[in-house]
Amino acid sequence: MWQRRAFLKAAGAGFAASLLPWRAQALETAELVFASAIQKIGGGYGAALLTERGEVVATVALPDRGHDITFSPQAGRGVVFARQPGTFAVVFDPAGKVEPLTLTSPEGRHFYGHGVFSPDGKLLYATESDFEAGQGVIGIYDATGGYKRMAEFPTYGIGPHELLLMPDGKTLVIANGGILTHPDYGRTELNLDTMDPSVVFVDTASGALIGQLRLNAGLHQLSIRHMAIDARQRVWFGCQYRGPAEDSPQLVGYATMDGKIELIELPADTLGDLRNYIGSVAASADGKTVGVASPEGDLVLAIDTSSSRPSLMQTLKNGCGLAPQGNGFVASSGDGEWLGIAGSTVSDRKLDFSFDNHIALLS
Amino acid sequence: MRLIFALLLALCAAPVLAQEGKAPPPNAADAKYPLIARAEVLANAVEKVIRPAFATFKAETADLNSAMGALCETPSAQAVATANAAFAKVVDGYSRVEFFKIGPITEQNRAERLLFWPDPKGIALKQVQQILSSQDAAATIVDGLRGKSVAVQGLGALEYVLFGTGSDTLAADAGHFRCHYGATVATAIAGIASDLDLDWQTRDGIATHLMEPREDYTDYRTKIEALEEIVGTLAHGIEAVRDTRLLPFIGRTGKAAPKQALFWRSGLTMAAVRANIEGLETLFKVSRIAQAVGPDHAGLENTTLFEFKNAYRGLGLVTSPVADALVDTRQLAALNYLVIVTQSLGSLFGDTLSAALSLSVGFSSLDGD
Repeated sequence: MWQRRAFLKAAGAGFAASLLPWRAQALETAELVFASAIQKIGGGYGAALLTERGEVVATVALPDRGHDITFSPQAGRGVVFARQPGTFAVVFDPAGKVEPLTLTSPEGRHFYGHGVFSPDGKLLYATESDFEAGQGVIGIYDATGGYKRMAEFPTYGIGPHELLLMPDGKTLVIANGGILTHPDYGRTELNLDTMDPSVVFVDTASGALIGQLRLNAGLHQLSIRHMAIDARQRVWFGCQYRGPAEDSPQLVGYATMDGKIELIELPADTLGDLRNYIGSVAASADGKTVGVASPEGDLVLAIDTSSSRPSLMQTLKNGCGLAPQGNGFVASSGDGEWLGIAGSTVSDRKLDFSFDNHIALLS
Repeated sequence: MRLIFALLLALCAAPVLAQEGKAPPPNAADAKYPLIARAEVLANAVEKVIRPAFATFKAETADLNSAMGALCETPSAQAVATANAAFAKVVDGYSRVEFFKIGPITEQNRAERLLFWPDPKGIALKQVQQILSSQDAAATIVDGLRGKSVAVQGLGALEYVLFGTGSDTLAADAGHFRCHYGATVATAIAGIASDLDLDWQTRDGIATHLMEPREDYTDYRTKIEALEEIVGTLAHGIEAVRDTRLLPFIGRTGKAAPKQALFWRSGLTMAAVRANIEGLETLFKVSRIAQAVGPDHAGLENTTLFEFKNAYRGLGLVTSPVADALVDTRQLAALNYLVIVTQSLGSLFGDTLSAALSLSVGFSSLDGD
């Protein structure tokens, strides 16, 4: 209940009153509010705000396909980023009192679909590509000044994807997927022979590199894409393999700020079910469980972070979205499914749109 | 907006293009669908399309290797012409197999060694010119070449040798080093083509896995997964034609860039695009994959073949080298029209065919997210 209140406080006093009666009622009885980019049946894109029961309380129109959403209660704003190599991000007021603001990446940059606010809500960090130089950058936007782009610093790698703020509030952890693309060639991958994925820790104050961690050289085609932080401040990550399909490398691991990086050993049959592809990673509310989803393998895993072993395997066709709820996760799919897994109290629901890859908990 | 304007131009300038949009009437025998079992689709794809295409590519590269050897042995204008013709055949053959980005071509950087493209920074040109200017002897030995950048080992490098600045020396002794470097590249290409063919012909390899999926295979455990690979090949193949072969030189933002066209030096840009599209149509048609759908989707095969015909109409209108085609209103309109047709085909494969077969190909396209 607290998180709904926190959300309402951030959204403003008039938010609930501005909703249609049934939506207001849905929100009134909700404990949590989530957001996800969506694709409407028959075309068109947007972002939806939902209760944990999957009731839509508000929507935001998008010019093209979105990807992840970040939210700051301090800023009172959410931001949905274009799917890479898109060039827009839409800042929205969950209360709907302020018109959405569409940001455009500067000349020579495009977004990668992920971003995060600073703890005070004054800065927005976004993963971007400096595609002429072929380098990843973090774009820094002033959330107190119309989201003007203030500066950028390097990600120390190619193809940055998800970034998170570490619990210290001053370190960004960034997954450099290692894959070079250029908007002139769509989403074509240009450097599969020389990929160099890494997890990097960067100081938000200076942009300085604190640490850069790589997997074994033989795994250079294992693109590190999505992350979540557990109760022990370990950064769990999920990978997508770009080598031959008959290979079946481990796909899930964790990294720490003190320089450790390792892949956990998932059973061979489970690994086979993941089809060399993890599309999202999320940590449970208590940080003791990590969820990973494979839309290619129609599978969601819950992994006990203390033993590094799967505690649940759930089939979910086109399943990818994950966010903490209850003791487990709410999960979503490209087929419009919304359900609770691994200790969640959420009931199954089918929506009349496709969920994109991620769910954000607005808290 | 530019695209729409271009389409309007296409419709005005090329009446034949204005006739499309009406799919043929539905087949009266719809109720009999599916007409083919999924296992047969997979067998057709491997035995009637993939294996023959790689075998042809192997033979063409062997001919090119011989032609380059003969050119170096006895330089002449005739020998250059023979090598150039052999190169054109290899480009054609390669364009009919390159979209099979599965199995052996994904190993040992073979795809990149056969063709380093796209190359937005022009890495290959700089490195090939460096080899030629320094007369780097290591590049005239296959093992030495293999130790070098993948950008100097494939078709792009050989095209520069045969058609780039200085290629007029090939017909005489002055082109000695250039020819031997080109011949080494041709040998390396033929070696890869031979390996690919062997791997596809091998009984217990990728071909078997794709035709007869099994639970204990890591790549294809079920017919659904194998079919997803075929549909993915079609969807991603046509997407690559649009994103890497057409849009880079047509210009996404209104600025044409003829030198961003693959094989512009040899004038084979559109021949390669045609071979790409014909190759994808062959996979679609000969595998009979669209006949594996239920009665509700019985018209999908005709609709898709109709769209392929539209692509050939567009291709038929582009008759000049790309630099000239880009400044010719009618040909530019046809190029833009081809972009639209490839988008349509991509949607037919990735969305419609995938859904009709109850597959999950469309959710995360080329590189996922």
